[in-house]
Amino acid sequence: MRHSDRRRRIPARPLQWPGAALALLVALAGLPLVPPALGQEIPRLTFAQLGDSMRANFGLTQGILAFSGREVEIQGFIIPAGPPDLSFFLLSRVSGTGNYCCELPSGQDETVYVYVAKGISIRYDPVRVYRIRGMFEAGHQADRSYGVSFFRVRNAHVEEAVGARIFKEEKGR
Amino acid sequence: MTLFTVAWRYLQGRFVTSVLTIVGVGLGVSLIIATFLLTRGIREGFIEGATDYGLIVGAKGSPTQLVLNVIFRMDAPMPNIPFRAYEDLQHDPRVEVAVPVAMGDAYQGFRYVATTDAYFAPFSGRRRAPALSAGRFFRSDVPEQPTYEAVLGADVARRTGLKLEDRFFEGEEMAAYPLTVVGVLRATGTADDRAIFISLASYWEMNELSRRAMVKPLTAVLIRPKRLSDLAALHRGWNVAPDIQAAFPTAVLLNIFNLLSLVEDVLLVVLGAVVIVVGLYLFVTMYNATFERRREIATMRALGARRSTILGIVLLESCALATLGGLAGILGGHGGAYLGAALLAARGGPPTHALAVNALQPVTFGAVIVLGALAGLLPAVLAYRTEVAENLAPL
Repeated sequence: MRHSDRRRRIPARPLQWPGAALALLVALAGLPLVPPALGQEIPRLTFAQLGDSMRANFGLTQGILAFSGREVEIQGFIIPAGPPDLSFFLLSRVSGTGNYCCELPSGQDETVYVYVAKGISIRYDPVRVYRIRGMFEAGHQADRSYGVSFFRVRNAHVEEAVGARIFKEEKGR
Repeated sequence: MTLFTVAWRYLQGRFVTSVLTIVGVGLGVSLIIATFLLTRGIREGFIEGATDYGLIVGAKGSPTQLVLNVIFRMDAPMPNIPFRAYEDLQHDPRVEVAVPVAMGDAYQGFRYVATTDAYFAPFSGRRRAPALSAGRFFRSDVPEQPTYEAVLGADVARRTGLKLEDRFFEGEEMAAYPLTVVGVLRATGTADDRAIFISLASYWEMNELSRRAMVKPLTAVLIRPKRLSDLAALHRGWNVAPDIQAAFPTAVLLNIFNLLSLVEDVLLVVLGAVVIVVGLYLFVTMYNATFERRREIATMRALGARRSTILGIVLLESCALATLGGLAGILGGHGGAYLGAALLAARGGPPTHALAVNALQPVTFGAVIVLGALAGLLPAVLAYRTEVAENLAPL
């Protein structure tokens, strides 16, 4: 009697659940491969573009202003000018330490103020290039905590950019 | 009689073993809790005590030593830099705030920090400026007429018992230059709580060498630039000098954190081993207990107890031991962390916020109960499979 009861409780197609779970796992694993905006690639800005966009009286070219409000990617060195949790830092073409022999430090035109998204953990290395992705803002702005800036990336995601080249390209090369 | 009552009676029946198991689990959990609280507390203490100045200019040498000494009042002071460096920075158009600092000796272990009133002034972007809880700040005196006035950090006032108008000195040679307490700062949770602030003029006059020196010495200058983007150029400009360096305080802290995370990785391995040992200890205790009472279990079964009831009793015993050990461990871990933080503070370490309650405590507690259930699972299955006839045979 017991055996018959137990047999009755067994589902008709016992392999359905494992199969569905496996399919769900595969789908979840594939999620990071899907681009954030379907069919759109995130534009990559360079420090050469930022530097060339500066005009007199805090002006910026329409070309760079067109990226404002859009998600962009920029690569550079971290200059830890904010709090030690790296919730804010400067991104620069030149490393804050080292490189004394070959590169002059960059100025306002080649510095991006980066506001990091919550929950992002960064391992700081002064001579490593980082890839920043986030909402780009261009234009003169005075922040109470961090002062005047021209280029900002908000809600930024940060990762190491292995093998990246960020040096300014000379014209005519 | 409920399952829990039966399990509890079994635990009471072997009281000494139960207590020793609870103590063993508790010690393991204490170690885990104290380690996490202290490592996180040290990191948060450094973050909390970090400066709002973007750059420190001091003598050539280790940037870590410069930042630890000037900001956190740890390590030995760096060599001196000339006062002229401060004047140059004050006149630099890129600099918004420049604050001179000279690190002196100590009174009962609390360092003298000579500076100007700019050290206490608020500026744009400063999270909190030091504020007074009593008295006033020291007067801005001229080098020839020092006032020997002192403003005490909150910890200094509490631990030395000094009050407003009290005069103090340490060492016979300082008897000619007694300092007068004119103010006490509010507690900030930073290294400022453990400092005695005096004016530069008083500092120079108290020091035999600087008293006679034409070029007055400083330990460092704290810099806040007008634009953060000028930090890199300022840093470069001072670092190419042969005898002076500039350091990013945040970069130094991040390098310290990188080293700390290596230590944390090693500790994680050690704590993993502790979890395994605690689990094995629980398992051995429960296995022996189950093995010793096979006859009782067989009797219960013969009297009508179901296999699942026996399984539940053994699992409940194991979970009860883990729960009590976990609770004892969480309490013990907080006690250990508190003692560790006090020891660090007494040795001049960073301020440590070691008693924070967050997800660590409930997660650890839950994990200990799960570990208890897992450790009791095999003994419980053995009890579940106990054969009545075999174990009720005459002895």
